[in-house]
Amino acid sequence: MEKKFGVYLCKGCGIEEAIDIERLSTIATKDMKMSLCRIHSALCAPEGIQLIKDDIKEGVNTIVIGACSPRVKFEEFDFPGTITERVNIREFVAWSQHPKTDDTQSLASDYLIMGIVRVQKGEPPEPNILEDLSNTLLVVGGGITGMTSALEAANAGYKIVLVEKEPQLGGFVNKLYKKIPTGEFKEPLIVDTDIDKMIKEVEIHPNIQVYKSAKVSKTDGQPGLYDVTISSNGNSETIKIGAIVLATGWKPYDANKLDHLGYGRFKNVVTNIEFEEIARKNNGKILRPTDRKEAKKVAFILCAGQRDPNHLPYCSAMCCTNSLKQAKYVRQNPDSVAMILYKDIRTPGRLEYYYSEAQNDPGVMLTKAEVTGVTNAGNGNLYVEMENSFFGEKVKVEADLVVLAIGMVPSTREPQEYLDGLTAASAKGDEAKKAYLDSTPAPEFILNLSYRQGPEIPSLEGAYGFADSNFICFQYETRRTGIYSAGAVKQPMNIAESQEDAAGAAFKAIQCIDHISKGIAMHPRAWDTTFPDVYLLRCTACKRCTEECPFGAIDEDEKGIPYYKINRCRRCGTCMGSCPERIVSFKDYSVDIIGSMIKSIDVPEEEFRIVSFVCENDAYPALDTAGINRKTIDSSVRFISLRCLGGMNLVWVADALSKGIDGVLLIGCKFGENYQCHFVKGSELADYRFGKVGETLDRLRLEAERVKMLQVSINEYDKLPEMINEFVEKVKEIGHNPFKGL
Amino acid sequence: MSEQIITPDLGFVKDIIASGGDSVKKCYQCAACTVVCNVTPDSKPFPRKEMIYAQWGLKDKLINNPDIWLCHNCNDCTKYCPRGARPGDIFSAMRRKFIEDNSIPSLMGKVVTQTKMTLLALAIPFILFLAVLGITSHLRIPEGDIVYSKFFPILYIEIIFISAVSLAGIVYLASLVRFWNNMRKSNSQSFSKGFIPALIETLAEFLKHSRFGKCGPNADRRIPHLLVFFAFIGLAITTIWVTYYYYVPKVNTPIPLTDPMKWLANISASALLIGGALLMINRTKNKGFISKSSSFDWTFAIIIMLLCITGILTELIRLAGISTLAYPIYFIHLIFVFYTIVFFPYSKLAHMGYRSLAITYSKMTDRDISA
Repeated sequence: MEKKFGVYLCKGCGIEEAIDIERLSTIATKDMKMSLCRIHSALCAPEGIQLIKDDIKEGVNTIVIGACSPRVKFEEFDFPGTITERVNIREFVAWSQHPKTDDTQSLASDYLIMGIVRVQKGEPPEPNILEDLSNTLLVVGGGITGMTSALEAANAGYKIVLVEKEPQLGGFVNKLYKKIPTGEFKEPLIVDTDIDKMIKEVEIHPNIQVYKSAKVSKTDGQPGLYDVTISSNGNSETIKIGAIVLATGWKPYDANKLDHLGYGRFKNVVTNIEFEEIARKNNGKILRPTDRKEAKKVAFILCAGQRDPNHLPYCSAMCCTNSLKQAKYVRQNPDSVAMILYKDIRTPGRLEYYYSEAQNDPGVMLTKAEVTGVTNAGNGNLYVEMENSFFGEKVKVEADLVVLAIGMVPSTREPQEYLDGLTAASAKGDEAKKAYLDSTPAPEFILNLSYRQGPEIPSLEGAYGFADSNFICFQYETRRTGIYSAGAVKQPMNIAESQEDAAGAAFKAIQCIDHISKGIAMHPRAWDTTFPDVYLLRCTACKRCTEECPFGAIDEDEKGIPYYKINRCRRCGTCMGSCPERIVSFKDYSVDIIGSMIKSIDVPEEEFRIVSFVCENDAYPALDTAGINRKTIDSSVRFISLRCLGGMNLVWVADALSKGIDGVLLIGCKFGENYQCHFVKGSELADYRFGKVGETLDRLRLEAERVKMLQVSINEYDKLPEMINEFVEKVKEIGHNPFKGL
Repeated sequence: MSEQIITPDLGFVKDIIASGGDSVKKCYQCAACTVVCNVTPDSKPFPRKEMIYAQWGLKDKLINNPDIWLCHNCNDCTKYCPRGARPGDIFSAMRRKFIEDNSIPSLMGKVVTQTKMTLLALAIPFILFLAVLGITSHLRIPEGDIVYSKFFPILYIEIIFISAVSLAGIVYLASLVRFWNNMRKSNSQSFSKGFIPALIETLAEFLKHSRFGKCGPNADRRIPHLLVFFAFIGLAITTIWVTYYYYVPKVNTPIPLTDPMKWLANISASALLIGGALLMINRTKNKGFISKSSSFDWTFAIIIMLLCITGILTELIRLAGISTLAYPIYFIHLIFVFYTIVFFPYSKLAHMGYRSLAITYSKMTDRDISA
């Protein structure tokens, strides 16, 4: 493609008041020899957009827009088929600098020059689309979540393979007597689950193929090209799959651990699940286990083994409402009372109305209480003892049946714990690993992934075994591209929430299939058609890229030469940063492009200049926000956006310092896998590589304090300018870089 | 301390709901009511705890609870309740329920406290008077000057009323003693003050109605209630005074308008009329919250107003000399007088004694508020 350049500068939003736009335009046309540079008072307005579009019609295909941050107005400034670079002279210059000073002007001009260099060096992306892609969705788990995902995607026209380990579909809903209505909360507050209708709908749907009593014994490949082996009744079958929804749900917490609440000691202490079964088997009549007499005084102990450091430390979210529902089972007999003993009633959102409706029933009696024990009251009856209740003193109630509201344990927890144990043992050496493998029975794995990071979807540390989720930005995002968790496997949910989540996960899976068919990355760079391109001739088979790729997108062949499973790739560029040979490049993002940008910075002898590499997901938006809040940042700093600090290459530090730039500052996200970085631990990798910057500094005989790394989260925009300015002050104390002007 | 057993009573919850406490189940125990209440003691404050007792139907914890009577129905609680649980109304309902249940005989409690039985309650004096007048051949309009004793001889009135009021007084006293004993039994606390000094303090407080002044949205009730309070005292004195006139200096009714007793009577009647009217107006005023005055409250208020109006009319029509109207009005007036002073252990007036004892008890147990 022969590039025809167009530079467009916007005067709106206070830019004109801070920057001499005419002078900036001269930089573009004279210094950078751009043939076309237009100035507009509001470039994002329809007339401004039309201006650019008219030029595109005349052949302009390489566009530099000096205006607001690329994080805003991205729909307006979207020109398909062109290379478009956004130069942020609004947030980074006009809104964070003193207006109309020489420093401000040179900052704007450096940004514009860097932007122009970038498009001069960049190439138009050509998507990498693999062949023989599958459009079929695999849904693992045939409960309410899995069936909802399957139906949603099937009704959208996709083929579904649904795998259920039990002999019938329906999951936990099968066990329920009634459910909470989803529409209006009106008496009697309980409705039929209608699960049979749903099961039938799934089973007869032409787009859904159901495997019952089945499990996934192997998941190989990548999005669009998964080879999934399904074992069922001794037979195995391998099916091509496009994307996967993990909806394996939960298991009830082991009530045998709750003997302080009488479980196991008294037959008339049952779990909420067992209570459902009692109600369902007897068609709503609550017959207690010991004598099959109707229970007329039923005590519900909420948070049984939940929000309790000795059991489940978390809240299972569904039990409060569910217990109110079960109280209404009891109240089907107008003479019966249901006593609900809660730690807190948690009925968020619309469920608050459910709570107040249920509470209005004179026979549903509630109190906050810390239940201290359950004792025998004779005749099969029980005393529930409590403290800190609304009654003030220590009190007890007599009940003829006690129901424990036990919590949800994610189905992923057991494999996760096993794998965590294995990782810990392996770290201690081969012997410890062998001992662990010999002594610990292997659990049933769910997905059996062929992935160098392990056979299952990862779990966040401290997430109690619930499936991975980027709960801050995209709750469906897991670290296994193309696999989306839904429902209670991800976090405790009730039926309605699971169904909503199921629909979302199904559409995420569909989006994955769609993007892959077009060669577009998945979140967070869900527009990106570039991909890592490797000049393999120079590969030394060092395996750093395969080790460091957070998404298992790179494997190596027998010779140790890497090859990409490109559909797993999220385009973070960690491989680019990891490669000592600098042979990984993207069309618009490479070691050379960033290096050239650094080299284009004007470094006057008497001025300080600092280059700061910032990650595009946290630091960059934080800087934008600082600009929006008109926080002043020292004018000597030039920010360069990186997809992830994991793409940071040490040669850039050498480039900068040898050019006379006085300091280098890296700003990335917080360390640790729990910090919800989209690229997992790019920031940590950058820090690790940065640790070796000493060699460069030694070689150049420069002070170690000239380079620094900061960790910030997106919401720390208020502290960030201060942190940056502090670093600048430090560098100024050290003095000018002796290479300046050489 | 042995653990108390909480025994929920669904029937009692339903009773409270039926007595005007239909919002009781809405309470979620945030205790905003207790925080905004200006008449609750600091130790074991109300109304939060009574709301959970009511929700669980814990009758024992409610009926002997002095706090039900410490409440002055200010309705700050109802105004600030985030859930619309209207604690003020629940307390009113519980007081009504208490009067009904603690009545001797309990049948009379039902007849007077239940609005649907009001006509039956009024029928008792009506039939009684009709029978007395019929049997003694007085059931006619007497000739000549209007002298009510010609229609209803004073002796009959004395016999009927003194005996009925004495009986009512005795059963009321018995109810009060029962309340006092139950209160002491179920709230075992040491006393920091004797009964008599505490009672004197309480009665002295009543003269000023200082607690009413602490009410937030309902503070306007203080003056009208004070008027009604003193009106009843005035009318009670008048009644004794006229009896004294009749038997000692043997002065016959009607008493001339110049007599100080008549002044007191007329001033008291006016105070009752004005106070009663103001109370009723106050009840219909928008005070920034919705409160349901129960039919029990309204029935009583209307009867007191009818008592007052028929009393004033009895005097005015007598002075105007319209005998065909005067005697029937007098007859009706006597029915309301009977209702008010004979049924008082069962009507809203019963609160006088219960509240006095409850406040006295609170003063004896260091749960007083600085009124």
